[in-house]
Amino acid sequence: MIAQSIEASRCPRCERMVVPPAHYCPDHPVAMEPATVAGVGEIVSFTTLHSPPEGFKAPLHIALIELKGGARLFCHGQETRGIKIGSSVGVESLDGVFYFSHMGFADRARLFWRRAGAGGEKVASISKSLAKGIWRGRSRGDS
Amino acid sequence: MNNVWIAGAGMTRFGRRDETLPDLIAEAGLAALLDAGIERPDALVVAAMNPEEFTGEGNYGSLINTHLGLAQVPTVRVETATSSGMAAVYAGFADIAAGLHRTVLVVGGEKMSHIPTPRVSEIIGRSIDPHERTYGTTMPALAGLVTRAAMQSRGLTLREMAQVAVKNHANGARNPLAHFREPVTIEAVMESRLVADPLRLFHCCPISDGAAAVVLTAEPAAVRIAGIGQGTDTMAVRYRSDLTSFRATQAAAQAAYKMAGFGPARVELAELHDAFSPFELISLEDTGLIPVGKAGRATLDGETALDGRLPVNTSGGLKARGHPLAATGIAQTVEICWQLRGMAEGRQVQARVGLAQSIGGLATNNWVALLEARA
Ligand SMILES: [Zn+2]
Repeated sequence: MIAQSIEASRCPRCERMVVPPAHYCPDHPVAMEPATVAGVGEIVSFTTLHSPPEGFKAPLHIALIELKGGARLFCHGQETRGIKIGSSVGVESLDGVFYFSHMGFADRARLFWRRAGAGGEKVASISKSLAKGIWRGRSRGDS
Repeated sequence: MNNVWIAGAGMTRFGRRDETLPDLIAEAGLAALLDAGIERPDALVVAAMNPEEFTGEGNYGSLINTHLGLAQVPTVRVETATSSGMAAVYAGFADIAAGLHRTVLVVGGEKMSHIPTPRVSEIIGRSIDPHERTYGTTMPALAGLVTRAAMQSRGLTLREMAQVAVKNHANGARNPLAHFREPVTIEAVMESRLVADPLRLFHCCPISDGAAAVVLTAEPAAVRIAGIGQGTDTMAVRYRSDLTSFRATQAAAQAAYKMAGFGPARVELAELHDAFSPFELISLEDTGLIPVGKAGRATLDGETALDGRLPVNTSGGLKARGHPLAATGIAQTVEICWQLRGMAEGRQVQARVGLAQSIGGLATNNWVALLEARA
């Protein structure tokens, strides 16, 4: 799995990042600037709806994810087995809908090496922060 | 700022009702006016969260003042989602405190039980951020996320949450106006069907019809509104850094205590917004009534029971009294009024100061009111 780049907005006043992009910062009535954030983060919380609203199939897995880049976002997932609060996950956008998937150690290592080997200043800085997250996550033993 | 007193209180029985919403509001409103000994208030504040979609009627302030025979009385309608009732109390309070009027009738209600449950959930769910709603989030879904996070970070347990529902059902059994009047066991709560993991059916309040009303006056009466405060937070839950306490409640409580000139230590009775059982525990801590991390234990120990140190939701709360949306904040006010006046037959506690807390949406627009018996 490769970390997808997710479109976001950044507040020029307080640096807050939001996903998806928004016109105004929730804390300041100032226009936000376009930004991107890597699609890797941690589970803040999750739930499974057994009688979801019309248009959704049961069971519906919903998670709130905090991306390493700072923004939180809602995601759907295939399952919640094996995940817990603090689990590292990858986030991908498919047809404008975010999905999380639990990253096993192999996935995370692959992600780390692929990013690290790609070169370029931006990629290097992303991979550095990813690496930190990966090792942090691993040290908690939550994979 | 003028002192504001509660001279009259009234409410309908909550539950499945066949009457129209204007009829329910009239029943509560006229009862409160009779209680206050006032035929015609100087102003009227009407709370209804979404009568347009639940009942198909609009221009609700005028509809109600005409229906009540008060067509010439200046009327506004207020709305802050599920806390609309307390927002209406605030509007009436501000009106009298500012000296604009001497008597204000505050009424609120909702009629929903005639509509299929999925449709009701969808209409209530519109108080959720539109983007988050595209993920199928409903109020129980967001409450499920909050609950799981609180279990992890605050050590909230399933048994503590279940005990809230058990206690509130026991209180509701003593309230003739409550939606549910049957006690439930802790096992029944813990074995009820999963709604939004880890939340189960018996952690969630029912869909109720009903109305409640208070008459506020500048003339001294039995109960005074010592403080009332509002707190807000982002509509989008993803914009918040903390899921497990509600900034909107904390800010509202601070504002109310500041206005009253006293803190949580003087509060002897509370009506809290237990739309989902864990919210009562979070609210106990957000309002400062119980130290952070201790509300669950205190509940299991009976501290918040009818005969406890700090009775909470003597009416049965949203869980058992019921939750007709815009009626709820006013019904909480009514319950505390009746308790302070010694009129809570069958569930009377000894108290001089009570606190009511109302949550709007997923804690986007919350209120805390402090009521004090006249010395
Ligand atoms: Zn900002």
